[in-house]
Amino acid sequence: MSDRATPWLAIARYDAAGRARGSLVLTGLLSAFLLLFLAFFPSLATADVDLDAYVEAFPPALREAFGIIAISSIEGFLAVEFYQFAWLLLVGLYLAYLAGGTIAGDVASGRMDLTLSAPVARRDVVIGRFLGLVPLVVLLNVALPVVAYVGVLAVGETIAVGRLLAVHALAVPYHLTCVGLGLAVSTLVSRPGVAQRVALGALFALFMFESLVANTEFSAAADLSPTAHYDPSAVLVLGEYDLAGAATLTAAAAVLVALAVVRFRLADLSG
Amino acid sequence: MPAIECRGLSKYYGDVRGIEDVSFAVEDGEVFGFLGPNGAGKTTAIRTLLGFLSPTNGGATLLGHDATDPVESRRARERIGYLPGDPGLDRDRTAGAFLDHQAALRGESSRDRLVERFGLDESRRVGDLSRGNRQKVALVAAFIHDPDLLLLDEPTSGLDPLLQEEFASLVRERVDDGASVLLSSHVLGEVAALCDRVGVLREGHLVAVESVAELRSRGGKQVRVRVAEDVERGDFERRGIMNLRVGETVSFTWTGEYDALIDLLSGYTVRDLDVVDAPLEEAFMTFYDGDVPGPVGGERQRSEGTTPAETPADSTAASGGDTR
Repeated sequence: MSDRATPWLAIARYDAAGRARGSLVLTGLLSAFLLLFLAFFPSLATADVDLDAYVEAFPPALREAFGIIAISSIEGFLAVEFYQFAWLLLVGLYLAYLAGGTIAGDVASGRMDLTLSAPVARRDVVIGRFLGLVPLVVLLNVALPVVAYVGVLAVGETIAVGRLLAVHALAVPYHLTCVGLGLAVSTLVSRPGVAQRVALGALFALFMFESLVANTEFSAAADLSPTAHYDPSAVLVLGEYDLAGAATLTAAAAVLVALAVVRFRLADLSG
Repeated sequence: MPAIECRGLSKYYGDVRGIEDVSFAVEDGEVFGFLGPNGAGKTTAIRTLLGFLSPTNGGATLLGHDATDPVESRRARERIGYLPGDPGLDRDRTAGAFLDHQAALRGESSRDRLVERFGLDESRRVGDLSRGNRQKVALVAAFIHDPDLLLLDEPTSGLDPLLQEEFASLVRERVDDGASVLLSSHVLGEVAALCDRVGVLREGHLVAVESVAELRSRGGKQVRVRVAEDVERGDFERRGIMNLRVGETVSFTWTGEYDALIDLLSGYTVRDLDVVDAPLEEAFMTFYDGDVPGPVGGERQRSEGTTPAETPADSTAASGGDTR
């Protein structure tokens, strides 16, 4: 039986290979989205309006939600137009949605029966499915800083490379937490479509909650949301790297995966 | 050591009964059939044995390992091949990629041989394959590592007759090499052709375990006789006669001794007589007709006009639940 692979590794590899094309398409689309916004920047920067004064007039909650600090610099512009929206919200929600479909989807389709009829522990399945989404997270956060850097140069601007790299490095633990959240939901909700929507809805609700309570007396509660621990604007505009936030997110991801393992071990596969 | 030993295994889904108090053993090298209509609990029993469902009560061993202990169960599963009734295959992956994955999880001592034998084109997407070819992929996955115990749930659904034959010989070859098999089906012919013994499931209960030979003898003889005299229905209503039809010819299923049949017919001028083995279905139906009857016990219900075709359908409806 020496020709058998390590189960969690085999599951992760198979899962990641199945996502290869989708991952490349998503990377391409997000790159195009980023470049589109960058193309707008020169005309915005030379326009005769005080954008910073304009965003200063936004209600605090809105500024908080979209991490708006300053918009007239290339860093501020990218933070508001791309990272706060696409990286924090769009990619985060999508990852939670994808992960939400993993375990529940396998059980509902009967794929899980085939996997677990092999000498595979349920823990291996959960960990394998988590790791199967890691290549997508890594690909996005390796490819996009390159695209962003080249794009910025192309519109005749310069950007602090350290900050650009940091905004992606710090995105990895945040994105893994989104995956962990989806995975945990996927072991709690048996219908895959529902699990996906619950995962996505939960993350979005947490984001809204954080934005609303941020400047109130309950601001400590905002820490419950993963989105509270990753702030692209602070990284890009102020050069503030929230390492404690990254550590918190890494721990949260681990806890969520552990929760999924515990829950899935006890579950009947409804089939 | 039996390949499977099931002791009082019960599985309830909330209040809904899946299986209740199921006990049986599959001996080493034996092919054991689970027979029963949809909803009888065949799939629930197999999925509980594999640890997909945790039993409400009772326990089981697979190849000597406790099936209800995750670590022990995993050890048993190293040597188990499983074919689900409706295998969940990734439609957007190629057959080759799927089998690569199965091989990584199980081992692949027989992969190349099986792929060649079934003429599988591994480069095609599973979703593009016909139902029969998809079933072939699942079959290869089940046999890929030369398992010592095979759990096959409705294995030939979706297979054409030629492929069914190929499947049957594949099972026999594994058994010749020492493997044991638990096979579920609602098709009697399939079970009769492959199995040594049959367990009949009805509404979650294992109502009988018999050898196929016993089951056959239970079926009795199908008798068609034409006599010169006018006959009344009452003339033939007696012990040992089931499914009586009286018309131009008299036909019935005879479950008694030959001598008694000859005695019965000696009172008439026999113009034509035809005696053949009753189809196995007849024997099978007796299990779905109230309590498990002996050869004669089913007579009362039969003569009241219950047709065999209706009976299993009623049982299915009465079981009131998904097999899973």
